[in-house]
Amino acid sequence: MLVKLLKYDLKYMIKNMIVFYLLSFFFAITTRILFHIEQSVIVTILRNISIGFLISMAANILINTMMRSWIRFRDSLYKDESYLTHTLPVTKNDLYLSKFILTFLFFFLGFIVILLCLFLAFYSKENWMLISKFVKNITIGLNMSTIFFVTMFILVLFLEFFNAIQCGFYGIILGHRKNNGKIGYSVFYGFLFYLITQMMVLGLVFIYGLFDPSIMALFKTATVSIDANAFKTLSILASMFYLGIIFIMFELCKKALNKGVNVE
Amino acid sequence: MHLKLLEIKNLNKSFDKKAILKDVNMEISSGKIIGLLGKNGAGKTTLIKIINDLLTSDSGEVYVQGKPIGVETKKIISYLPERTYLNKNMKVSEVIQYFKDFYEDFDAEKAEKLLKDLGLDINAHLSKMSKGMQEKVQLVLVMSRKAELYILDEPLGGVDPATRDYILDTILSNFNENASVIISTHLISDIERILDEVIFIDKGKIVLQSDADKLRKKEKSSIDEIFRRMFKC
Repeated sequence: MLVKLLKYDLKYMIKNMIVFYLLSFFFAITTRILFHIEQSVIVTILRNISIGFLISMAANILINTMMRSWIRFRDSLYKDESYLTHTLPVTKNDLYLSKFILTFLFFFLGFIVILLCLFLAFYSKENWMLISKFVKNITIGLNMSTIFFVTMFILVLFLEFFNAIQCGFYGIILGHRKNNGKIGYSVFYGFLFYLITQMMVLGLVFIYGLFDPSIMALFKTATVSIDANAFKTLSILASMFYLGIIFIMFELCKKALNKGVNVE
Repeated sequence: MHLKLLEIKNLNKSFDKKAILKDVNMEISSGKIIGLLGKNGAGKTTLIKIINDLLTSDSGEVYVQGKPIGVETKKIISYLPERTYLNKNMKVSEVIQYFKDFYEDFDAEKAEKLLKDLGLDINAHLSKMSKGMQEKVQLVLVMSRKAELYILDEPLGGVDPATRDYILDTILSNFNENASVIISTHLISDIERILDEVIFIDKGKIVLQSDADKLRKKEKSSIDEIFRRMFKC
């Protein structure tokens, strides 16, 4: 049943997101073409406009994935459509898992689309060298491999976004237990749990810092300087803590949903 | 041992400290058409929503064929809510596929035939259909299941008298004969002819449950008249 639920959730998201993916690719190709035709004032203006649209589309993909995931979650589980969702012979766990996987897939897809569009629009040997040099400068300073640095950076960013979305889900579940002001309470609870999870990550890093002076140094100095070991430890710690918190929030959401709903 | 189809014990539900259902107890057996009758706000929809896992009760128990509300009971209950619940971005054919995917007892051919009889295009988009047409699509989907218990919440609300007759005929001619149908409504005169049993609900309490014919004989009047007398403002 989970596969069937996922099939319909995927259809919904694709229908809503495809236009943003296509627009991103359109502006990526336009930008590339405008880089390669004879330069003039008009071409430069058009190219800059195209770059502006491309960047706003990339941001739009991330924001829209987040918003659409929340809207889909709310509409499917608490609005008119919920009369069908909750009367399907499926478990509440499957209902939640479907939304969880859906969000994961679309965030991953969003990242891929953004990277592909940026590659399409700006790839050239010179740009690649420039980025490589920039990243290398950082990684040499931190004494680590480029792959490790990029992977950890994207992973922490991905987990951070994912945690924010799941806090939103939990906020929606708790907010819709109220008889009045469901939207307001959903936003409030979502924001509250996001703050709590951020504080938890910070707190756990601080506790770890009690045993590791290079991490504690981050809390004691005002300057943002980080050595290689501290960066490695911090990025691995943050990823692990986020994974732990995502797992805890996942279980909390399932438990809250299993207690039943009160549909309007 | 013969299991009761639906059994409700000491069910209570309140909103903002206002009691909506008060110690509701009832039993329903198979093969009957039951009218759940009450004024607006009597608690009919709340009761139906609890049976369908759309609301949680404060206390009490609900069993369908001896099982508590859950995946197994949802397999045998076919529910028509009082509102349109289908995803408006879907086509009728996609909704048929949706029901086919999730309900093992769904008869897609029957649904297509009923839709054709009603003059509804299965390739039409739900968003392009009127509310009345969407309600007909929902009724067809619900009645195309071979369920054990059909629960229809206000199926006649907002429908013209000619369509009301058609809906009742659709219900009568399409439900599994071993199944039971609960019809919640305040339009009693329209459904009276098809009822085997009646349940009167008022202010969250079951005030009467009786065989329809026995009640008519006993009171020497129609169910509609009995209801009007009982709940006169």
